Amino acid sequence: MSYVGQSIPMLTNAQLVAGKGTFTDDVQLPGMTFMAVLRSPYAHARIRSIDTAAAEALPGVLAVVTGQEILENTNPIPETYDTAAVGARGVEWYSLCIDRARYVGEAVAAVVAEDRFAAYEALDLIEVDYEELPAVTDPVAAMEEGSPLVEPSWGTNVMASRDIRLGDPDAAFAEADGVVEGVVSSARITGAAIEPRGCVASWDPYKEILTFWDSTQAPHAVRMYLAKTLGMADTSIRVIQPHVGGAFGLKLPTFQEEPLCAYMAMKLGRPVKWIETRAENLLVGGHARDTSFRYQAAYRSDGELIGIRLDVIADIGVPSALCGWGMSFVTWYCLPCVYKCQNSETHLRSVVTNKCPWNAYRGYGKDAASLLMERIMDHIARETGLDRTEVRFRNFVQPDEFPYSQVSGAMLDSGNYPGALRKVMDMIGYEDFPALKEQALAEGRRIGLGIAMELTPEGCSMPGSLMLNGTDSTEVRVTPNGNVIVLTGVTSPGSGNETGIAQIVADGLGCDIARISVVQGDTESCPWGFGNYSSRSIIIGGSAAGVAAKDINDKMRKVAAGMLEIAEDDLDQVDEAFVVRGAAERRVEFADVAREVYSNPHGKNMEGIEPMLQSVRQWKQGNVYHQPEKQGRFSAYPSWPYGAAAAIVEVDPESGHVRILRYCLVEDAGTIVNPLLADANLHGGIAQGIGGAMYEQIAYDEAGQSLTATFMDYTLPTAVELPTLELGHQATPAPFTPLGTKGVGESGVGGALGALCSAIEDALPEIDMQLTALPLSPSRIWAAIQDARAREGAPA
Amino acid sequence: MKVPISVTVNERQHELLIDPRLTLVYLLRENLGLTGAHVGCATGNCGACAVRLDGRTVKSCSILAADVSGSSITTIEGLSSSARDLHPIQQAFVENQGLQCGFCTPGMVLSTLQLLEQNPDPTEDEVRHAISGNLCRCTGYQFVVQSILAAAEKVRAGAPA
Repeated sequence: MSYVGQSIPMLTNAQLVAGKGTFTDDVQLPGMTFMAVLRSPYAHARIRSIDTAAAEALPGVLAVVTGQEILENTNPIPETYDTAAVGARGVEWYSLCIDRARYVGEAVAAVVAEDRFAAYEALDLIEVDYEELPAVTDPVAAMEEGSPLVEPSWGTNVMASRDIRLGDPDAAFAEADGVVEGVVSSARITGAAIEPRGCVASWDPYKEILTFWDSTQAPHAVRMYLAKTLGMADTSIRVIQPHVGGAFGLKLPTFQEEPLCAYMAMKLGRPVKWIETRAENLLVGGHARDTSFRYQAAYRSDGELIGIRLDVIADIGVPSALCGWGMSFVTWYCLPCVYKCQNSETHLRSVVTNKCPWNAYRGYGKDAASLLMERIMDHIARETGLDRTEVRFRNFVQPDEFPYSQVSGAMLDSGNYPGALRKVMDMIGYEDFPALKEQALAEGRRIGLGIAMELTPEGCSMPGSLMLNGTDSTEVRVTPNGNVIVLTGVTSPGSGNETGIAQIVADGLGCDIARISVVQGDTESCPWGFGNYSSRSIIIGGSAAGVAAKDINDKMRKVAAGMLEIAEDDLDQVDEAFVVRGAAERRVEFADVAREVYSNPHGKNMEGIEPMLQSVRQWKQGNVYHQPEKQGRFSAYPSWPYGAAAAIVEVDPESGHVRILRYCLVEDAGTIVNPLLADANLHGGIAQGIGGAMYEQIAYDEAGQSLTATFMDYTLPTAVELPTLELGHQATPAPFTPLGTKGVGESGVGGALGALCSAIEDALPEIDMQLTALPLSPSRIWAAIQDARAREGAPA
Repeated sequence: MKVPISVTVNERQHELLIDPRLTLVYLLRENLGLTGAHVGCATGNCGACAVRLDGRTVKSCSILAADVSGSSITTIEGLSSSARDLHPIQQAFVENQGLQCGFCTPGMVLSTLQLLEQNPDPTEDEVRHAISGNLCRCTGYQFVVQSILAAAEKVRAGAPA
């Protein structure tokens, strides 16, 4: 029996459903203290002075810390990317502002007190003398001459800029039958995991060991970055990742509060807990996606896309050490996604503004790329009068063209894009929809159907990065009693990869999955690893686990053959036993072989065999290209999952209100280890895609004040807004992973953006409405309807 | 200044002297060590802190502990004592994968308890409305809704609710 391919509920379910998980805020230590952070009320201000005397005098307050102390005693937080290596401007980012606050919420001071009440009360007693400085919140204004500068030492607000010309765009535009042009912009959004960030730091001054519990995705990276920031050996730090209540990229290190909390624990010799409030989470927990594209697309009359010109502006907020700003590069890198078009000219600018910095968020820029390409496809369909699906079929990379070298250098590994689109058209009833629409219209209901493709490369590996890396390690140990411990460098943010890894190991060893325990998220016990992001846990950690399990199985087979006194070639494995092929009654049990290995290392069955049943193995992804001078390309992503989405919506043209009636996604993530958990992840991805398309937006006013600091303003979809999600699957195994897995953690997000725009427009075909900005809120749709009507009513 | 309160939590009586600013969720989490109720927003939006207060499911982040003196509270910890005796609603969530990270799950389970007491045979639409005060970011609610419908079936079939 094979476990891979089976729907097995998560191994952690019973504990979590009983409320018996241990999340960071559940960690309680003797003598625990609480840290609260004072945050800038201004989008940009000089800090003239800070008076902490009254706060320090408050009973229960143990210490107040400001930027000057942090400057004197710590190092800047290391950058996740080597900015200089990619031609970007860098920044020295400390755990507290030193003399200038750059956005509303940036950490200015911190209090540690005996309890929450004293800590928060003391914040009100800290007196900061601010000199407000001009701020800039609009990225276009930020590029104008004379704009306030987010980083005055740069002399510009453009952090990174790239002009990329590929193929021959001028020739393509010259020979085109037509050109469409427009602007598409995606909203500023965030992940909003229901568990906010948090950490607990505890310093042992005798062992000189810092133990650090962190709601993070990458414990080993946290250990390394904390060590650098605090100027100590990384081996003097143990990072433990407790249960994580959702992460979605936004719990990748390192934020200001992590080293700050560790510093305070070492200073005070008391354990310190910091737990983010929801308001802090929305103000400072990392933002994403806020990108605008000005596009021109050249096409032939048969719908073929032959050239693209793009002006891309990413509003990345203030510069920080976080890895979010890299999303703007990935957006470009994915283009033109699932389509063939070898001629392009891109002007890409990552612009800093006085807003919260970007951090990684599910989709990591791939979502915005899909939105842009699907809007372009719809635009070409509109201009040519071709069906929206026909334009896509015309432009797809074809199944027999893989591996396909995309114009950016990306090497798309495998897939069947037309197959996925046909499948989703069948699911949603594409051919029959016009009749359904007619019928609805007769009832006075306006319904529309939209489709969109998505491309979601996974397993990211960036050169020079100690955080985004296409390698990982897993150790498999079989105990003398025949039980199995798996220790891995990949982590789970609650998505169930521990269950998938257990399935892979059970298959590799030929044992019952009940024997297996998986240990993750502890730098003291787990081998080095890069944690969880870019859907890497199964494709990279799982691959390492499979190789390690095979090592052990190879050894157990040799020993079993010796015990049965047969040649290894005559051995079969059946139901946790090693048996003589053709004579299954002659058998030794899995646990008996394990006992033999440990108890008779000098016996005849172990002659020439290394003792013990333990193997730690590393996995390095293929299809990654970091040596362009030698390999002729740069490509950071080994596997390229994709999907086709279709939605039916009902639109009320008088209010702009939209209800999603049906939503279908056909996904190809290669071989699926656990269909139940893959579906669960897809549901979550789609829900976040729909949220970002329809309901969510981080908003600022012109002065840079946040307008979305609670869940009343930043509105996540509830069970009422979301429809039943219908999934279809297609599996083109990845050629570059042992099991053919591609990763499924970010799929479902990108397709929702284009599909919903397309569906809403389709509901009102008599109105020449083009939706160009997210979120698709009732007010925005209503305004688009009014604009279109006004245009039509205007004299020609 | 501290105020005395008397509460019954999961059938155990507690006499406590507490800070009047303490909310119910922190009373449970920090004074009584019952960390199954989680804090996701502290503004009554997300529902991760839900508990049963005198037979009704409430958001414990938005209730002062001092106000519940004399009340009887059941938390998620009161529904089972081991993986082998889960409440049928919890069992349905486990079997139908009605959770991922598990942070919102105790609140989902307790909202389900309230729903099924009032309506043992809910439609999918009624289920969706019943958990509209519980935010989940992992599941898209799909398997949560399936879990609740399965739980309703278990309870109707005679499983003790």
